[in-house]
Amino acid sequence: MNSPGRISRRTLLASPATLAAGPQAETLRAIDCHAHLTHRSNPAWERLDRALIDAADKLGIERLCCSTLPPRRPATPRSWRECNEWTAGSVRRHRGRVLGWVHVNPGYREALEDTRRLVEDQGFIGVKLYNEYRADEPVLFPLVELCIQLRVPILHHAGHTMWLQQSQPRISDGSHFAELARRYPEAAIICAHVCGGGDWEWEIKSLRNSPSVYLDTSGSVADEGVIEMAVKTLGANRVVFGCDMSMTASVGRLTGARIPESDRAAIARGNMERILALRGTGKGSR
Amino acid sequence: MIDVNAYLGHFAFRQLRHNTADSLLRMMDRAGIERACVSSAASITYRNAQSGNEEVAAGVRGQSRLTMFAVLNPAYAGWRDDLTICHEEFGARGLRLYPRWHGYKLDAPECLELCAGAASRGLPVSIPLRVEDRRQQSWLVDVPDVAHEEIAGLIRAVPSAKFILGNGSGFIGSSLGKPGGAALNYSIEISLLTAAIQDELGRLAANLGADRLLFGTGMPFHYPDPSILKLKIAALPEPDKEKIRSGNARRLLGL
Repeated sequence: MNSPGRISRRTLLASPATLAAGPQAETLRAIDCHAHLTHRSNPAWERLDRALIDAADKLGIERLCCSTLPPRRPATPRSWRECNEWTAGSVRRHRGRVLGWVHVNPGYREALEDTRRLVEDQGFIGVKLYNEYRADEPVLFPLVELCIQLRVPILHHAGHTMWLQQSQPRISDGSHFAELARRYPEAAIICAHVCGGGDWEWEIKSLRNSPSVYLDTSGSVADEGVIEMAVKTLGANRVVFGCDMSMTASVGRLTGARIPESDRAAIARGNMERILALRGTGKGSR
Repeated sequence: MIDVNAYLGHFAFRQLRHNTADSLLRMMDRAGIERACVSSAASITYRNAQSGNEEVAAGVRGQSRLTMFAVLNPAYAGWRDDLTICHEEFGARGLRLYPRWHGYKLDAPECLELCAGAASRGLPVSIPLRVEDRRQQSWLVDVPDVAHEEIAGLIRAVPSAKFILGNGSGFIGSSLGKPGGAALNYSIEISLLTAAIQDELGRLAANLGADRLLFGTGMPFHYPDPSILKLKIAALPEPDKEKIRSGNARRLLGL
């Protein structure tokens, strides 16, 4: 018998908020494939990095795949090297919880040596590229070939808008990844943040026939139906969960999507585990 | 929970699933949302917004959990008649303005008159800062967000009105998010606020008070789950969360 004022388990489970369909966020046990640590030119970096992990704790995210990006573009060896060092430090401090993406600018030959060193010596999980070049430009090819050799994925910044983005003239979209995948079908390419503000319907459709390209769900746009369309068009095994720092929008999209639980689990963690298993990095959770 | 930011009907540039009264109610049941304020998604792009209001009025008839908000365009012929019809015949409990989509400024004389008219009828005026993220807009349109300071000017200009600011973020960087920085006659809907890392939700609660925040989702444009999660993880006392979930809306709408 319950004492007055106490809520029984049965009452709790029958409450409207609990009856809300879809899994509770805490049960996701997700891997966030797209997270960022704060650049240390921001005096609040330590607090913000801690806030990222706190948010992950609250939302059922077990592992965070993180890169640190230089605020000034294009990235140079000097600017990305300090970022990668900071990422490595965070990976060491939060072992098994924070996984590291190498960030480089493929326009420099140092990109190759740094990628190899960080993957082979420090266990980084793959390469995060930004918008210095489109994904199908030949300057990327040596780095893509190295990633194939190392058996690590490439997470590539992306977005499709209906006009030229003046600040990002070489931003990639699904068509560029499709072309890169046609040339290198053995590469594991992740198209970043489909919910990052571009036309997500265009992006999903453009990747339909590129089975080696995965779609990262991250971004701030919480449009109903995006996860369902991605699963229907690409198959659940090509969709990987990410936040790109938009934590509640990203978790809420996945918990709210009307998809089979097996698909939800694959998106939340299974697919990324499979990608990480290519090299055997990123093992172990908390 | 009471959702102050929901829609019925079609949107011109993207298919909305669950956009009828029945399907929206099923979505609300699934999310544990008791009541929703609904306005016409079609009226955002209809030249004559009143046609969308008529569709919504028909959709909510007999549906006690759906509360109609009317989309008014003070730059279009007959808006005064539309206001009367929406309030007195359709039973609208609030108004919805789209100044960027409908092509007027918030300080236009007709807009000020409309807001004063809403105040005299006891109707809150809801202003979504955006409909879609600008980066995903169709090639046919280029509609910027409504600027925070333009809204602040309207709020100051019509102190008798009550405003709901929805589908927005970045309030903290404007006078609207600062303690004592603007008037008191507005509330902010939470669907696009961050509740983690930057935590705009928590900062607005600290600056303005939890009494000034309202639960909203943007259904069926958006999944309702992100808004529910925001309140779940927010570092706020449970009584404050309860105000945001429903208490503040009940008070504002006289429910």
